[in-house]
Amino acid sequence: MAQDSGTRTLISSAQLRRGRGRFLYWTLLTVVVVGFTLVFLGPLYWMVTGALKSGQEIAQTPPSLFPKDPQPQNYIDAWNNLDLAKLLFNTFYYAAGAVVFQLVLDTAAAYSLSKLRPVFGNVILALMLATLMIPAMVLIVPQYVTVIDLPILHINLLDSPFAIWLPLVANAFNIFLLKRFFDSIPEELMAAALVDGATPLRTLWSIILPMSRPILGVVSIFAVTAVWKDFLWPKLVMPAPETRTVSVGIYAFAGGTPMNVVIAASVIAAIPTVIIFLIFQRNIMSGLTTGSLKG
Amino acid sequence: MAITTVPGTTRKPGRPTPSYPGPQRTGLGRKVRDNLTGHAFLIGAVLCFLVFSWYPMIRGIVMSFQRTRRGETTWVGWDNYSRIIADPSFWPAWQNTLYFTVLALVLGYAAPFFVAILLNEFRHAKGYLRILVYLPVMLPPASALYLFKFYAYDPSEAGLFNAILKALHLPTSQWMQSPEMTMPAMVLASTWMNMGGAVLIYLASLQNIPGELYEAAELDGAGIWKRIRHVTIPQTRLILALLAMIQIVATMQLFIEPLILANGAGAEDSATSVAYLIYQHGFFQNDLNGAAALGVLMLVVLAGFSAAYLRLSAKQD
Amino acid sequence: MSVPQYRKAAALALVAGLGFSLTACSTKSDDKDTNAGGKVTITVDCQPVGAQKELLKNWNDDVAEFQRQNPDIVIKSVSVGEQCNNPPDFTARLAGGTVTDVFYGYMTDLQQVLDSGQAMDITQYANKDTIPTWDSVDPALKEVFTDGGKLYAVPVKNYSMGLVYNKVLFQRAGLDVNSPPKTWGEVRAAAKKISALGNGIAGYSEYSAGNTGGWHFTSLLYSQGGQVLTPDGKKADFNNAMGKQVLQNIKDMRYGDNSMGARQLLQWGDLLTNAGAGKVGMFIGAPDSTQAIVSQFQGKFQDWAMAPLPGQDGLAKGTLGGGEGYFFKKDLTPEQVKAGMKWIAYQKLTPGKGQFDYVRAKPQNYPVGLPQPLLFANGSDAQKQELELRKANANVDTANFAIFEATPVPIKGEPRNAQAVYAVLDAAMSGVLTNPNSNIDALLKTAEEKVNQLLAAES
Repeated sequence: MAQDSGTRTLISSAQLRRGRGRFLYWTLLTVVVVGFTLVFLGPLYWMVTGALKSGQEIAQTPPSLFPKDPQPQNYIDAWNNLDLAKLLFNTFYYAAGAVVFQLVLDTAAAYSLSKLRPVFGNVILALMLATLMIPAMVLIVPQYVTVIDLPILHINLLDSPFAIWLPLVANAFNIFLLKRFFDSIPEELMAAALVDGATPLRTLWSIILPMSRPILGVVSIFAVTAVWKDFLWPKLVMPAPETRTVSVGIYAFAGGTPMNVVIAASVIAAIPTVIIFLIFQRNIMSGLTTGSLKG
Repeated sequence: MAITTVPGTTRKPGRPTPSYPGPQRTGLGRKVRDNLTGHAFLIGAVLCFLVFSWYPMIRGIVMSFQRTRRGETTWVGWDNYSRIIADPSFWPAWQNTLYFTVLALVLGYAAPFFVAILLNEFRHAKGYLRILVYLPVMLPPASALYLFKFYAYDPSEAGLFNAILKALHLPTSQWMQSPEMTMPAMVLASTWMNMGGAVLIYLASLQNIPGELYEAAELDGAGIWKRIRHVTIPQTRLILALLAMIQIVATMQLFIEPLILANGAGAEDSATSVAYLIYQHGFFQNDLNGAAALGVLMLVVLAGFSAAYLRLSAKQD
Repeated sequence: MSVPQYRKAAALALVAGLGFSLTACSTKSDDKDTNAGGKVTITVDCQPVGAQKELLKNWNDDVAEFQRQNPDIVIKSVSVGEQCNNPPDFTARLAGGTVTDVFYGYMTDLQQVLDSGQAMDITQYANKDTIPTWDSVDPALKEVFTDGGKLYAVPVKNYSMGLVYNKVLFQRAGLDVNSPPKTWGEVRAAAKKISALGNGIAGYSEYSAGNTGGWHFTSLLYSQGGQVLTPDGKKADFNNAMGKQVLQNIKDMRYGDNSMGARQLLQWGDLLTNAGAGKVGMFIGAPDSTQAIVSQFQGKFQDWAMAPLPGQDGLAKGTLGGGEGYFFKKDLTPEQVKAGMKWIAYQKLTPGKGQFDYVRAKPQNYPVGLPQPLLFANGSDAQKQELELRKANANVDTANFAIFEATPVPIKGEPRNAQAVYAVLDAAMSGVLTNPNSNIDALLKTAEEKVNQLLAAES
């Protein structure tokens, strides 16, 4: 990164430029680059090429490094049989919705708790933060029976994206991060806005939010990751094949699909995310750095 | 209780009194209206918490004392608890889950921190290495695990790991088919696929350590390990504590790894986790009430654990 | 911006959160339109998935033809996945009430379905008017779906397990295709020869995960003449010489002869994937496992044949049987129930139509001539018709199944609390399959204790 040259880290740059330090530095760097490539890229190579192998070749001892008789058909089968387009669309749709819902509702809540401070605000905050200690697994059964028959309304959210979006809004960690960030915005700015006759919503929109981009970025990243990584919850609340996420879809098909095809599907499923990450990785990193995650 | 879970993260608000409405704030009507405004902003999130978090919490406890049969719900006292404890997999599941949590703390927790320190020292190939570490995170979790299951942990000599071991003239392993290797193998896969996120977060926090601190320490004659011990770790203590907490809560919920790598229970229950048992009872054995009871037990254990954690971190402060 | 405006905006955010969900749900519930324009609409699940191209086309053709014949009925097909009943998903749909109007279930699901309160009593609807072949349907199958004198589902398939074997591998190993093993000793000898072909081929393959291990243990135990539970269903009854023999046989093949392959902890799809890839010589299964091997696992049905389940010395003393049926969701209108019956009658219970349309299936990549589904009672008209059609259109060598058909083995159903008991028995199976030093006595003793605890807590 650009600022590296100026930042002093654990070991000074000067030390690394001199004799022994320099030798050690380059040796270590080479070892790490080679090692990491093997550890993190190696399996992915194995995955891409493994999906090209025939069923016979996979079972061969010792395993072959290159597919001898590449079978691109595995990829085509994976795309068609698993309906990957649909699975990917679902996953991105759920992720996008999760970002929107969390940004809107959690930001509003954090703003209220930080700046508007209505009565009982602290009690509500405490109750929210208390849920931080409750892992999802503990609530999975009662949450599930709640979703299939919402209290009072008696609505069934099974196979509806809201079954993914709304529970994610109840995320105390996000509200905590946002509130802490908003707390750091000087009260004077708020007071000044008020003198100008701005409403709270106006103040939020034109003063607070523009200053909060990094933290909003962080919350968005967390929202997307949560949807991408979650498995059991979408598996339970999206039982229909048309509403599955990628991870659940691949699992559901794995039992009845040859393993080359399962792996081919995994490769295809990873491509869009990898591209998105490569495009946004700078923003993600700077979001994490300047966001609220300072130690 | 949780406000203090992450010691020191809450910045003290400037003034405890409501400050926003400012000087011209007078009169009861105004106050009511301001409060209404405040709650209007809150209500969306509060409703979500209410319906999907607070209410299920209570409902889970209630359910754990009920039994629903043929559409009729009756109170059964502690029956669900005694049934769930009588489940032959109950103790193995706890044992496995705790074992996994501890192993994951040793491997999965320490590894990303040291990887981040290492990466932070490099002046070259930084972006490349960072992307590498993060690549597995981008695989759907099920995919990453199938990769391990089909290729790496194949118990025959066609498996990647066994082929490597054999080439090195080391004894091969049965991996997921060996009760001893099941948990270490699951921790390895889990660490590989999840560590990227933690590395990025640590990297971010390392970059916020003022360089002068290292300089000062170096002037005092502190070597590399001392600098890590006295500068790096204290400076990132907050994040370290936070991620430790998050990781423990996450590993206690171990589910997808046994489900995919071991097809559930593994060799002689060596992979069964508490979360898997919840799933097994709730959705295989038509016993949602028993599953709810197990959930409550899990909550009790975690609450006990957090209490201990809080006490420890309070002492340190 | 004035005060009311931001209120409006805040309210909007709220509506975004809740209002949408209302609309989302109201759109969902509109497939309940029962009598749109004088037509009766019913939703039916277990439509084949896209990967099963020919099966899906057959199904859709059947729907079109059925609707042409019954212009007042609309069938909406729902595909619930490659396995029509994957227990967790099935539980989810039952608990959530999102089962289709007419929904698929296993014979062992009756209790769970009744517990969920989702099924209706269809006793008064099931008769010759709605299902012309009803009187030919094996009464024993109807009995399985009956509780307290009330019928809850229409059986559409019935099977019993036997020894499925790969003819190609048999020939390559120098074994006689027409004289498959009759005892477990012969199975062991054949497995040894087949696995000697090398290349990762398992002579005999067996399950040990995802409750399928317990399921097969049960069948193997039946072959020894044993039973999993005592007749009153209160105690485990497998920790005895017969249970030990079952595990000993497997252990001998796995570690004595190393003829079961290295990969264990298999569940349903894993074994069939291997079988489809030509890596399995023998396994126990129902005749339709060869259908799955073809339609899902890229195998060839021509390679497979089936023998009766072997026994310890001579013929098996019993075998596991099971089957499938269609339940009817509670609160359907009588018209919907009748429409559903008609559809099932057409697609599942009419010789020459639907699943019995052998003329259509013959040229497809799908086996015709398998000794199943054993739906109709012996000697009934429907059975005779079905057998004739089957014979006339068979595309498999019926001789390969002749022994299986000609040698009836007494069929036993699954034990009470099957899934929970199977989960326990999985551990015993995985024990002998993954641990060369496993102690069979200890494994069975633990499993027995576990099952007894489980049954005690359950009652």
